[in-house]
Amino acid sequence: MRPVGIIANPASGKDIRRLVAFGSVFDNHEKVNIVRRVLLGLDSMGVQDVRIMPDFFGIGPRALDDLDLSLKVSYLDIPLEGTQEDSTRAAKALSDLGAACIVTLGGDGTNRAVAKACGEVPLLPISTGTNNVFPFMVEGTLAGIAAGVAALDSSSPRSFIDRAPRLEIRRGSELVDIALVDVVVSNPGFIASRAVWDVSTIHEIFLTRAEPGTIGFSSVGANVCALPANSGKGVHITIGDGGQKVKAPIAPGLIRWVSVASYRVFEPAEPIPVSYTPSVIALDGERELIVSKGDRLTIHLAPKGPRVVDIARALRQASELCLFLQPQA
Amino acid sequence: MDLPKADLLQMYKKMVTIREFEESLAEAVAGGTLPGFVHLGVGQEAVMVGVAAPLRPTDWISGTHREHGMMIARGADMGPMRAEIFGKATGYCKGKGGSMHLAVYEKCAPGCNGILGPNQTINNGIALALKRRGKGDIAVVLFGDGASHRGEFHEALNLASIWKLPAMAICVNNQYGISGCVDDVCAVEDISARAAGYGMPGLTVDGCDVMAVYEAVSETAKSIRAGKGPALLELKTSRWRGHFEGDPQSYRPPQEMEETRRRDPIARFAKQLLDQGMAKEAELQKLRDEAKRELQAAIEFTDKSGYPPEEEIYTDLVYAEGRSVR
Repeated sequence: MRPVGIIANPASGKDIRRLVAFGSVFDNHEKVNIVRRVLLGLDSMGVQDVRIMPDFFGIGPRALDDLDLSLKVSYLDIPLEGTQEDSTRAAKALSDLGAACIVTLGGDGTNRAVAKACGEVPLLPISTGTNNVFPFMVEGTLAGIAAGVAALDSSSPRSFIDRAPRLEIRRGSELVDIALVDVVVSNPGFIASRAVWDVSTIHEIFLTRAEPGTIGFSSVGANVCALPANSGKGVHITIGDGGQKVKAPIAPGLIRWVSVASYRVFEPAEPIPVSYTPSVIALDGERELIVSKGDRLTIHLAPKGPRVVDIARALRQASELCLFLQPQA
Repeated sequence: MDLPKADLLQMYKKMVTIREFEESLAEAVAGGTLPGFVHLGVGQEAVMVGVAAPLRPTDWISGTHREHGMMIARGADMGPMRAEIFGKATGYCKGKGGSMHLAVYEKCAPGCNGILGPNQTINNGIALALKRRGKGDIAVVLFGDGASHRGEFHEALNLASIWKLPAMAICVNNQYGISGCVDDVCAVEDISARAAGYGMPGLTVDGCDVMAVYEAVSETAKSIRAGKGPALLELKTSRWRGHFEGDPQSYRPPQEMEETRRRDPIARFAKQLLDQGMAKEAELQKLRDEAKRELQAAIEFTDKSGYPPEEEIYTDLVYAEGRSVR
């Protein structure tokens, strides 16, 4: 059985949206508890080898404290910076190891960092972030069991693994960065506290999905042009007067009217230039890129993003295969 | 967060000025011209400037003995600042406060505090007064990670919360309480997590990024002025020098010092300004030159100043006015 990876971001669920919105604080002690439950779920499915991303808080060692497990846990040998690069490096290490699955604890931003380097290893994302469109709000125990199902050496087709699209930010042929859910172009300025919450500063939104029931800037798209995650299409929204005002929950407790000047659905083969420069681009909710005046960036919808385990379907398939029944003597 | 270029350059200049001022004190201690304990905030300039810049001149701000730089960020004159630290009569407190009790009341800065922890409860008193005045001013207090383990921290947060005081508590987490590394003495990774226990928002910010600090303080101040009650900010930063001048820092691994200097908040801000075309190198150099000149003037002012006369030794003391303390 191949190893299962765990990447728990100690920085997720703590940004300025606790102050400017009403985001929940995701204390690292709770992440420790979730990792414990994931490990117990994995153990129950017979997973023997778990590799955890190290971090300065020590989520892994704290989770293992006094935990009685049969499986073996080790830590990825990666340099630590205390930045999102740690998650990307951990994902690369797990991809190189041929991991069966990576359980992530974080929000959209964490999964974006992991998706940069996880290759074909499927992700099982547990939400511990602020705006959580990509990860699932799920009990850690079930996530652990589902990850265990994904790790089983089985000849059955893995009908519970989907391919998520991604947005690629390109300068000519150079891939500058990616996003899993949204790219938001806003006024020029600094990266500073990273989050975006002031709709008056926003000019363009690009989305891989626009599903009603989501929070963040994808909710703007959802309320003018609903589009499921796996439609194979994206949405480009131009903010401004002359169109519709859309009520959108852009962050926890922060519901705003957003002026949508226009929107359109676009296809993967259709690069769209970033028309507003200079600007700051936020990727999956975090200001990441400073765009200079005249910088020619284009946004592409790429169908081949990370593979993702659908927890409910994984558990259903395992149940149908009688994996949860004790074998008859 | 649209700040005009002039404001951004002013912030840069203040950061450079604070660095120059503090390093000149280090030289004075090493050279034997400045006796006594001096605690320097070199490496923490983004905290000082990022906190002070978004506040109103009528907001009050107090700190610990490492917050000389905060006074400069608030606009205090380096001449009487330095004179005070050298015990000269021309100092802000007539040379009687020194480094540990430097206060600049005209800048609503009631002082550095040599005792770490109590300034948080004092800040509640200031916040209560400001609340009663009803002009929307707030009281900001800075303290270290070490002080956040003391009882006063918890008492102050609790009282500020139940009285909904216009108070902003800022933990300057420079990773060390004297010689104790925060990782060894703190049960939580983020001290801001303690805010939840007192029903207030808590936020951890990169204290080496002046714009991140500015944005967080600005938004927090907005929330407090709106009557939403106190908040706790934690600014993670680094102390470049010892706890006090003369501390050999044998408890710190050398590679940690290298990493600390790699995060230099001044170099980082300069790079941001240059990369974004908000300043040219020549403009930044001009500001650095100005800071050096202004410091030189402050040094000369201090050197020319005399010590307080002996007959004033018992005046200006809080409890001594008009009575004998002998």
